[in-house]
Amino acid sequence: MRSMFVRQAVLSFWPRFWSAFKEDMLEEIRIGDIGFEIEHAIAPRILFRWPLGPFEFMISDAVVVSWIMLAVIFVLAWLMGRKRDMIPQTGRQLISENLVDILLKLCQNAGMSYEQAETVVPFVGTIGIFITLTNLSSLFKIPPPAKNPAFPIILALLTVAYVIAISIHFVGLRGFWSSLIYPKALLLPFKLLDFVIKPISLSLRLFGNVFGAFILMEFIYIIIPVLIPGVIGLWFDLADGILQGVIFTYLSVTYIGEIVEGAHEAAHARQERLQAHTAAKKA
Amino acid sequence: MDRGIIALGAALAIAIAAGAAALAIGLASGKAFEASARQPEISGKIQALLLTAIVFIEATAIYALVVSLLLIFAY
Repeated sequence: MRSMFVRQAVLSFWPRFWSAFKEDMLEEIRIGDIGFEIEHAIAPRILFRWPLGPFEFMISDAVVVSWIMLAVIFVLAWLMGRKRDMIPQTGRQLISENLVDILLKLCQNAGMSYEQAETVVPFVGTIGIFITLTNLSSLFKIPPPAKNPAFPIILALLTVAYVIAISIHFVGLRGFWSSLIYPKALLLPFKLLDFVIKPISLSLRLFGNVFGAFILMEFIYIIIPVLIPGVIGLWFDLADGILQGVIFTYLSVTYIGEIVEGAHEAAHARQERLQAHTAAKKA
Repeated sequence: MDRGIIALGAALAIAIAAGAAALAIGLASGKAFEASARQPEISGKIQALLLTAIVFIEATAIYALVVSLLLIFAY
């Protein structure tokens, strides 16, 4: 009687063990609600709230990350600019000089003179370095600020306002107007519409790229947390972040160069027309 | 609203746009390589033009990505 009980217990041990083991393993592998987890990851986190009368002053994670990145830029700029020499003796001076040189060449290729390029480079370079560094924050598993739509939208609006202001400064209001109506006055509405589309295009490009990469990386972190995110992150965190900063800089330089070149060509065409007119009068 | 239909719509939106953008980038870079093989002396200029063109082509795919993300998360 007793031996039968033992035998039964031994026999029923393995099935029970296997079912418990299987349940445990499934619990380990089971991937909850992916949609819910990703939605939780992309929601902006409000870190501080201060009630200010009818409004509420909120500081989200994007603001804090961009502040941290500003501090990093300050420290980097201080380090790179320390102990300068007429002939570069240190690597960091070489690197910073090369960076400025690349930006100057970019501006000159876009159709600006050297003096104009020197005026443009500080703003454009700052925006480019800022965007690149904030995008690189996703390497350290800190959500990049550009996944919050407010960040790219305000950067794009600022850049387009700067483009209009600096090109008016370069070519004057008259030159700006002549660049708007350069080949034909018929193009004016389209060129005006272009100034509405430019910020939308700039901000959506940055937002879409960073947001898409962020969601994809979150998804990969959830389903395969080992090894694979490091490999795929090389593209989506490192290369794509740098690329977006470069493209933003490149496009804003191109926008300025377009207006400056258009104004020049318009002035040239006007002068040629004037000369032809006087020549016809003389003849 | 049925979530399955929304998922299908989002997938179709990004799939068609990504396919078209890939085709366009392929065409553009193929032509650029042909041109720079024919005239290697202006390959730098062609490269800059190609970068601009690719950025604008990519923008359309990014718009579709934003639309499909909105479909998924806004509904």
